[in-house]
Amino acid sequence: MKILKYIGIITLSLISFSAMAQVPAPGEAQKEPIAIMNAYAHLGNGEVIENSVVTFEDGIITNVADATTIRMDLSKFKVIEAEGMHIYPGLIASNTIIGLEEIAAVRATRDQDETGEFNPNVRALIAYNTDSEIIPTTRFNGVLYAQTTPRGGRISGSSSVMDLDAWNWEDAVLKNDEGIHLNWPSKLRYPRWWLGETEWRENEDYDKEYEEVKSFFKDAVSYKEINNPETTNLKLEAMKGLFDGSKSLYIHTDRAKEIIQSIQFAMEMGVKKIVLVGGDEAYYVKDFLKENEIPVVLEETLRLPSRTADPVDMPYQLPNLLHKAGIKVAIGQWGEVMQVRNLPFSVGTAAAYGLGKEEALKMVTLNAAEIMGVDDKIGSLEKGKIASIVVSKGDILDMDGNQPVYVFIEGRQVTLEAHQQRLYKKFKNKYED
Amino acid sequence: MRKLLLVCFSFWLFSSYAQETYTVNGVKDERPGLHAFINATLHLDYQTTLENATLVIQKGEVIASGKDINIPKGAIVHDLKGKHIYPSFIELSSNIGMPKTENGRSPGPQLGPKKEGAYNANDAIKAYFKAHEAFETKDSDADKMRKAGFGVVLTHNQDGLVRGTGTVVALHNGPENEIILKETASQHFSFDKGSSTQDNPSSLMGAIALIKQTYLDAEWYANQNEMVDVSLNAFNKNKNYAQFFDAGGDKLYVLRADKLGDEFGVQYIIKGNGDEYQRLDEIKATNAQLILPVNYPEAIDVEDPFDALNVSLAEMKHWEMAPYNLKMVTDKGINYSITSDGLKDASKLADMLSQSIDAGLSEEQALKALTYNPAQFIKMGDKLGSLTKGKIANFIITDGSPVKKETKIYENWVQGNPYKYQDYTLPELAGNYTLTVGNDEYQLEVSGMPGKENFKIVVNDSTSYDVKSEVSKQLITLSFKDESKEEAGKIRLSGWLKEAGLGGNAKMPDGSWAEWSASLNEDVSPAKEDEDTKEEETEEKSDIGSLIYPFVAHGNKEKPKAESILIKNATVWTNEADGVLENTDVLLENGKISKIGKNISASGAREIDGTGKHLTPGIIDEHSHIAISRGVNEGSEAVTAEVNIEDVVNSEDINIYRQLSGGVVASQLLHGSANPIGGRSAIIKLKWGYSPEEMKIDWADKFIKFALGENVKQSNWGERNTIRFPQTRMGVEQVFEDAFTRAREYEAEWKAYNNLSKRDKANTSAPRKDLELETLVEILNSERFISCHSYVQSEINMLMEVAERYGFRINTFTHILEGYKLADKMKEHGVGGSTFSDWWAYKFEVNDAIPYNAALMHGEGVVTAINSDDAEMGRRLNQEAGKTMKYGGVEVEEALKMVTLNPAKLLHLDDRMGSIKVGKDADVVLWSDEPLSIYAKAEKTIIEGTIFFDRDQQEDKLEAIRAERARLVAKMQGEKSNGKSTQKAKPKSQIIYHCETEIENYSSLK
Repeated sequence: MKILKYIGIITLSLISFSAMAQVPAPGEAQKEPIAIMNAYAHLGNGEVIENSVVTFEDGIITNVADATTIRMDLSKFKVIEAEGMHIYPGLIASNTIIGLEEIAAVRATRDQDETGEFNPNVRALIAYNTDSEIIPTTRFNGVLYAQTTPRGGRISGSSSVMDLDAWNWEDAVLKNDEGIHLNWPSKLRYPRWWLGETEWRENEDYDKEYEEVKSFFKDAVSYKEINNPETTNLKLEAMKGLFDGSKSLYIHTDRAKEIIQSIQFAMEMGVKKIVLVGGDEAYYVKDFLKENEIPVVLEETLRLPSRTADPVDMPYQLPNLLHKAGIKVAIGQWGEVMQVRNLPFSVGTAAAYGLGKEEALKMVTLNAAEIMGVDDKIGSLEKGKIASIVVSKGDILDMDGNQPVYVFIEGRQVTLEAHQQRLYKKFKNKYED
Repeated sequence: MRKLLLVCFSFWLFSSYAQETYTVNGVKDERPGLHAFINATLHLDYQTTLENATLVIQKGEVIASGKDINIPKGAIVHDLKGKHIYPSFIELSSNIGMPKTENGRSPGPQLGPKKEGAYNANDAIKAYFKAHEAFETKDSDADKMRKAGFGVVLTHNQDGLVRGTGTVVALHNGPENEIILKETASQHFSFDKGSSTQDNPSSLMGAIALIKQTYLDAEWYANQNEMVDVSLNAFNKNKNYAQFFDAGGDKLYVLRADKLGDEFGVQYIIKGNGDEYQRLDEIKATNAQLILPVNYPEAIDVEDPFDALNVSLAEMKHWEMAPYNLKMVTDKGINYSITSDGLKDASKLADMLSQSIDAGLSEEQALKALTYNPAQFIKMGDKLGSLTKGKIANFIITDGSPVKKETKIYENWVQGNPYKYQDYTLPELAGNYTLTVGNDEYQLEVSGMPGKENFKIVVNDSTSYDVKSEVSKQLITLSFKDESKEEAGKIRLSGWLKEAGLGGNAKMPDGSWAEWSASLNEDVSPAKEDEDTKEEETEEKSDIGSLIYPFVAHGNKEKPKAESILIKNATVWTNEADGVLENTDVLLENGKISKIGKNISASGAREIDGTGKHLTPGIIDEHSHIAISRGVNEGSEAVTAEVNIEDVVNSEDINIYRQLSGGVVASQLLHGSANPIGGRSAIIKLKWGYSPEEMKIDWADKFIKFALGENVKQSNWGERNTIRFPQTRMGVEQVFEDAFTRAREYEAEWKAYNNLSKRDKANTSAPRKDLELETLVEILNSERFISCHSYVQSEINMLMEVAERYGFRINTFTHILEGYKLADKMKEHGVGGSTFSDWWAYKFEVNDAIPYNAALMHGEGVVTAINSDDAEMGRRLNQEAGKTMKYGGVEVEEALKMVTLNPAKLLHLDDRMGSIKVGKDADVVLWSDEPLSIYAKAEKTIIEGTIFFDRDQQEDKLEAIRAERARLVAKMQGEKSNGKSTQKAKPKSQIIYHCETEIENYSSLK
């Protein structure tokens, strides 16, 4: 009886979910060439054109130029007049669980963390829910791409780069299984509050955990050399791309010692592309990172310093400090999934603390695209790249300015309004009547 | 090789006085117990020293002491030439001989007490516990204390908030009947509920509230005959004894314990934490006598620069300053006793005291705090703490001051019973001797203390022979192999002490006998060497860092002071009818805004150029959980109106400073949202460096936290938490209905009582005073105002209706994420809304949370604020307010009001705060840019005319932190290379509280 009752509840809640889930349909394919005129263009590669013309056709950018000098025949174009507005390449959110989690407190809606320690074969993209209500709220602020990334375990699985406007995950994917995510063992363990501890503890299993990672990688190296293995090992199969450069290894770790140790390790194992994710203490090992040309995906800027003695604005300054040290930096967003929409403001804050607007923007456009190996397709407003474009009323990095008016993904104009805007209108109307 | 014949022998030699009531098996063996100690340096008390004096004891009591004392006939005479006698130490913080208890946790909810019998409603109230009844001699523990110089302890069961009585026990391995010196000396309290697994209290503020309620219950209990409560009964009796409070935690806990006592006219003797120097003025003002630990931290291993990052500045500074605590407390005129509690074992005591003496503490003061003061604290000055006639014969025999680590304690006499640790009658043998064995001559080097000598034959600088040795009272036996000889065997010497050295018979390797003798060459005086090295140490240690307030990184050497400040030529956002004034001057004087206008000049005022900058009222956070000690939720019961955040404000939280850096000047510190009726809140100004009391806004109205929804019905607390009422929104209404019904009845009961004639009153017992209901009555009478955590419209409507039924209004709905759905009703009810700008999707009930909420409520005329609920977001509330412009198009000045004037209104502070207006408090922020822009940085945050955050000084401050750390790292490295032990560097972690942080003594459950 009890079980039946639960099933009843589950079914009911599914129905109510689907009743609410009215995520707008993806935009229609681009039918005619479009020209966006006279906007202040932020190209995403650090450059600006104060008065620009941006044209695109069949979802591909065909021209980005200075409107004051270029002469074009616009008769075949649909012209969008954007004087006073700002135009950007779509922002890219690195290392998110977008599409994998809907409501943090409801277990049934969480799909990011598979059981087990070594899951390189687990693929985030197939769980990516294009009908997530989180997606339209994110797009609404100019974030058009996300690296959807699994969590948990020692190796969480593979991430993919998705666009945020699609009928299904197959349509959404821009680059599938581009990287494997390794959560490097920590030398310190979090205090167990429930036992009254306030100090971090030494991780006595660190060496053991290190050995586990090492033996897994050794097996992976050995496996790739065997032409026709008698037994196919899905896990080791998934690791192959790390050694031929077709996949990146994303190492998640924060503290200085672990950063050095994990990266040294990966290089020794013959991993071709290594990315550091997290890197709270990256500043202390900046020379090492620079020397080995390791790019860093930083956690969101809007967080507290990790130590009391740190400058109060340490996380705000960190992107600039690493940039100045010659390191390629992207800013990610991996706290609560709802916060991905605040990525522009995370970047804006970094801009305010020494980085400057264009360099800051780069950290969620071209830098992010380069790190994920999709810079041939997205990341900047350049001829030949995919026409994923945001036209905002004002400065997209500032709250008041961040008001996308036209959003295109692959040239398709995207509907911005969704659940939240519908509720807004519903009740605004109620009070205005 | 050295061999110890004389292992420290610790046994008491005879039981001198038989127990009166016990049957003797055999013949009565009562001995005189008469001893005379002569030629001693006698320290009668901590300040009186007599040379060549005599102490006479009989049957455990001092019968005479001083100079020119006649030695009674039959006394056993002990010649203490060159030795010292001190009164032994008294330990006031001990659980020796008490039953073992362990702190436990209930696997599931435990709403009531587990102890069976007519006991208190809460298991943590153990007033019934009588230490003298439970006490059992445990000599292995006692012996550790004796070795360190203690003779008496006040022992109590260190378990529970109210721990029952303490008993004074002599550290003699005798029958309990005889060694208990005072059955009941004290009653004990703490902030730690101990072994109780009952859910309540789960937080520090809950513990404080429970102790308060216990005082009130006990008072009521004394005049009623409705029920029996063994604990309350005992509590009332125990009031007559000295009251001790173990304020474990940090210095702020000492202040909390004292404040609690003040409410009930009790002056506790408070056990502190060794960091009192960090808030000395406030500690002094308590007038409390203290019990202070000496568990100074070891230096931290900072060799690895990355590991060293993990050590906080406060930890490093405390390492350096901890030994100075006693000296600083003494200089302040605070009376205290010293405890060995907290040391790994008592044997470390002298080592620690030596450090304090190097730090300037006088030996006399240290002795006073170990003897005289503790005797006074337990009102036993007539029996303990000195060695005058009539005192208990508790003393130690030493070779010097017992508060120095090099001093040897030979014997510890307890109640006239000797415990011998080192034989002072043993000869002092250390020195260099010329040893003659037959015809051969050797250089013999003897080092070490009597009984622990090390013998060595030195051939030359690099070669020596080990000598096996045995030294007993009468005989010296040595053996060694002469490597220069061909014979395989050893030379064996047996001898005794002679006038001019040592001598006796030798058995040679070939079996022949020979004579041997050893004569002293010269003095080796290790004592002198010690002194030299110590002087150096003292010099080194005198170089210590300065105190900072609060005692964490970014603290100030001096508390910032108010000044006259003239801000010139800024863009001033007044929040008044004047709107935004360009190129305007604002003068701050005496903590107030005194002038607003153009071309103001003020002589003596500090001028700040505001050109290109923006001046706004300070940000006020309606919903914050920073600066709170040990728990933001007392979620153990559905109604906990008795708890008060004001009791647990933590002035040392770095997040205060971080909020200042974001332009925040004031915050409401709210109880969490774990239960429908939570605790009372504290409203503070962020006066970084000041004490908790100084931070509280004393003129503010009183507020309380209520909550609705998933948190209070425990939806996300895991499978076990399905018992506490309520589990549904339906139940939540009934919690309120019940609470206010009871409150009304309670008020009526008291009214009826108060209206009685004087005579009737005398014959009627007063109703029980209930802190929870008192608070609810305040709400009914609009003397306390509700800020209610809320999400879904149905329950918001419900609470407004409940309030209306009981004739009051809800003041604020906080979070109020569906406020936009019923903004019209909120307006009608007169309630404000304090919301997140854009949070949603973290749980089911926020599915309809939209970022347009603030705009819609504001549009309907609801007083709307944006709050943080989060230490991180709290420092950029200007950005959050900026989002209301994006979502819903709120006009910029109105958006600014949502984090300044509007929260001031919601907190009833707007008479003095929230706008820039002449006469209001000078709480202003100077921004680098338009205040709601992402590019705006708070450059100066000013509270009541005091600059608490100055961005221009950040570099200097950081440089000072770097320099101080570097100095301390070098010092710690020195410690390590001197061979002192160090501890590993481990980062401390700070829990950042949110509404949802359900805290059970630190546990986090989100």
